[in-house]
Formats: sequence, C-alpha cells, structure tokens
Amino acid sequence: MNCEKTKEKFADYLVGNLDKKSLAEVQTHLTACPDCRGELESLSAIWTKLGVLPQEQPSSALRQRFYAMLKAYKEGMEEEKTKVFFGQAASRWIERFMPRRPVYQFALSLVLLAVGLGGGYWMSSSRPGVKKEIATLKHEVNDMHGMVAVSLLKQASPSDRLMGVSWSSRISSPSEKILQTLLEALNFDPNVNVRLASVDALYLFYDYPGVKEGLVNALTKQSSPLVQIALINLLVEIRERRAIDALRQLIQNEKLNSRVKKRAELGLAQLS
Amino acid sequence: MKILRTLSGLILLFIAAGLVVESQETPSDRTVVNFSNPAKPGTLEVSLHGGSITVRGYEGKEVVVEARWRERLLTKKEDEELAEIEEEKGEEEIAKEKAQAAKAKGMKTIQVETTGLTVEEEENVINVEVELGKRSVDLTIQVPFSTALKLSNSEGVITVEKVDGEIEVDNSDGSIILTGISGPVLADCNDGEIKAVFSKVNPGKPMSFSAMEGDIDITLPADVRASLKIKSEEGKVFTDFDVQLTPSQQKKEEDERKEGGRYRVAFERATLALLNGGGVEIQINAYEGDVFIRKAK
Repeated sequence: MNCEKTKEKFADYLVGNLDKKSLAEVQTHLTACPDCRGELESLSAIWTKLGVLPQEQPSSALRQRFYAMLKAYKEGMEEEKTKVFFGQAASRWIERFMPRRPVYQFALSLVLLAVGLGGGYWMSSSRPGVKKEIATLKHEVNDMHGMVAVSLLKQASPSDRLMGVSWSSRISSPSEKILQTLLEALNFDPNVNVRLASVDALYLFYDYPGVKEGLVNALTKQSSPLVQIALINLLVEIRERRAIDALRQLIQNEKLNSRVKKRAELGLAQLS
Repeated sequence: MKILRTLSGLILLFIAAGLVVESQETPSDRTVVNFSNPAKPGTLEVSLHGGSITVRGYEGKEVVVEARWRERLLTKKEDEELAEIEEEKGEEEIAKEKAQAAKAKGMKTIQVETTGLTVEEEENVINVEVELGKRSVDLTIQVPFSTALKLSNSEGVITVEKVDGEIEVDNSDGSIILTGISGPVLADCNDGEIKAVFSKVNPGKPMSFSAMEGDIDITLPADVRASLKIKSEEGKVFTDFDVQLTPSQQKKEEDERKEGGRYRVAFERATLALLNGGGVEIQINAYEGDVFIRKAK
C-alpha cells in the first residue's frame, strides 16, 4: 500500500471502521513509513481536540456523587431563601407604619428619643440611692458657696467683700452661719456699698429664722442714710410690723437726714 | 518831688508787705513718704473732715503729700459748741486758768500754728489724717499708678486722676470726681454727685456707686463687658450704650410642696442692663439723682 492510499484510509482507521485486510495493510505501511506515522498522530490529536473522538466516559460512582451534591446544594438554597424572605417581610411591615414625609420621620425619631430619655430618667429617679447622691452633692456645693462667701466677707478689699455678698445671695438655702455673716456685714461693714448690697441679699432670705429680727435691729444701728432708706423700703415691703417701734425711734433722732425722716414717716403710716 | 518819692516808697512797701502776708496766709507742708515695699502696690488712706483731697497718679515710687491750709472761720455752731465746753468746765480747770493768768500777767497771747496733720506708714499702708476741729486743708497727693486708695471726706470735693488701683471713696457733703481710672470703685456720697471716667475696666471685681441726692455719671470704654444693676428711686437712667435689659434677674424659687413644705418665689427689685453681653458687675444706687451711663468717645 502506498502513502496516498494509506492516508485515504486514515479517517476510517481512527474511527475503527476498517476491515481486517485493510487494517493489516495500513499497519504494515505505518511501521515502514515514519512520515505517515507522524501525520496520523497529528490528525488524531486534532480530532480529539475537536471532540470528534469520544472521550473517556465517567464511572457511574461519579455520577451518583454528583447528584447527591446537587441535591444538597439545592436544599441549602431553599433555606436561605426563607431567611431573606423573613427580613424583607419585617422591614416591609415597618415601612407601613413609618411616615412618608421626612418631617414626620424626624418628629417620630424625636418622640422616640424623648421616650427613651424619659424612661431612663424615670428608672434612675425611682432608684432612691441616686436621688440621695444628688441631694448630697447639692448640699456640698451649697456648703462650698457658703465657705467662699464667708471668707470673702473677711477680706480687706471692699470689692472682695462686695463679691462675698454677691456669692452669698446665690446660695439656694443658706446656713445660719451665712445669714449671721450677712447681718454682721449689714451692721458693721465699714463700706456703705457693702452694707447696701447685704440689704439686697437679705431680702432674698427674709423668711429664714432670725432675719426679720436682724433687719429691724439693724435699722436702729444704722447711721448711713442710704442704708437706712434701703432698710425701711425692705421692712415695709415685707410688711414687718415689728419695725414700727424702730421707725418711731429713728424719727425722733435729731440728726436724721430729712429724706430718711420723710421715708420713715411714710413707712410708719404704711405699716400701721 | 519828695512827696512822690515817699508815696512810691510807701506803695512799694505795701506791695511787699502784701506779698509777705499772702505767703504767710497759705503755708503748705510737703512731705515725701516711701512704702515699706515699693515693689508691691501700696494703699493710701486719707481721712478728712473738711477741705479737699486731690490724688494724682504719677510714675514715681514715692508718695508726695502736700497740704495747704485754709483760713477757716469757726461756724456759728462750732462757736456755740466751744462756749458750751467753756461753761462745763469744772472747778479744777477754773483754778488752773486763774493760775495761768497770774503767771502771764502783763503779756499777750500769740497765735501758734498747730497743723494737726499726721502721716503714718505701716506695711505698705500710708495713712494721712487731719484732726477734727482744725482748719480745712487742701491735700494734693501724688501716688504711684498702682496704689489702692481709701479716701474719706465730709465736706469738700474729692478728685482722683490716673490711678489704677482699687478706689474706695466716700463723701458726705461734697462731690467725687474720678478720671482716668481703671480699678474697682466703691463710691458713695450723700449730698454731692459722683462722676467717674474709666480709661479701662479691670475685669473680675465688682463695683458699686451710691448717692443720695446727687447724680451718678459714669463713662465707660465702648467695648466694656459689664452687667449693670441699677436702682433709682426718684431719678431716671440715661445711657447711650446698646443695652440688653433683663428685669428682676435674681429670682429664687423654692418648691417644697411635695415634701409638705411651701412654695416661695423671691424677686430682686433691680433692672439688670448688659453691656456687650455682660461681665463685670456694677451696682448703682441712686435716690434722688439721675444716672448717666456714657460711652467713651
């Protein structure tokens, strides 16, 4: 068999379609002809690549395994699907209640914030321990205010003493010591301005024990007309009838400033 | 010719005599005092009962006190007081005077100047005092800029110029004029007016001005931050600042009703005027006078 004839038989040879006689002939030629051998090999490779020649068939075990895996995967996907669905359902449910317009959304969030704060406050205030702590702190701050005020009132600089009176008037519930110090400032401070300021401060605490009596007393001791008038104004305003005697005494004083005298007489009329 | 010469001579003599007499009539005492510690600001305290006090800040470290005496006639009241004292003399005193008269027989008394001015310094505090009953004196004192002042007078004006320290001043029957100052001021007077012109305002310390009859006139720098608490019984309050008014600033509220206590609200009866947002606390109390708060130009 020559090369041309053999090459014609290649296709059948590869597919396995040759009869015994032709097959023997091709094989005999191939053993003798390296060219034809080479050509057959390359042809075979191309055909395989093109998928013309059937590939190896997988075993049945592989097939089984594959189907099992597919089943498992499918089941997993189902589960996921239900989860997602729940989340979506919930958010959709919320969406129904959520107001559409941003203004209302904002309002709603404020309301929620207020509810949260209120709840927190209620929870904390209902605890007796916290309330007590706050009360103690307030007390301590008050005490500190008091100490600062009392020490300022002892300074040499009159401006410092004025600051001391200011501080003491800011105390919400002054101790007896502070009220005493204020009354002392009213009676004995060398500076008229400090005494005037203490009248104003004592006005804020007039119904604390001892203050009214202290003010009436101070009226008899004061020599500055400015302070006398401030005291008379205050006593008349709080309608302190115990001041009547002190006013009478004051009016009889010869050295009294005429304006103070007028005010005192008016005050006497107002209180009687 | 002769008459002319005599006349001109006499005139010259009179002029000369006049000059001499004048210088005799106004003697002045001058003294220079040092603070114990000139590095730290000192305090000057002056207490007078008639006359005038003028304090000026200057660059030196010493305090220069100048006192000029005035002729002062005894007022009728003081005459009466002296007469009373004469009447009340006891027997001992009368015997003493008789003995004195006996010793001084044939002589006359001559007036001797008694000054009654004392200047003391202790621990950076200089105290200038004039006894009551002596003649009125015009004090002119120069102090370092940073001195703190405590001035008190009963009749006559008190003037302060260019002092940076704290100023505490009170006057019964005269005016108080403060210019070029910056420190905290506590001023009060009965019958005069208070005028204060601040070159700057030291922050932090509160101030107070109180006057019975006179006006209170305060000039502040335009950019001052102050909270004015103003009370004026019968006068008006004028200002050219842009103020922010907040009435009854101090309101104390106590609610103890839940604990079985009471409810109480107390208001302070003053108007609070804020300048440039508020800051230094300035209390102003006027009774009959008006209050002027001026912006420095």
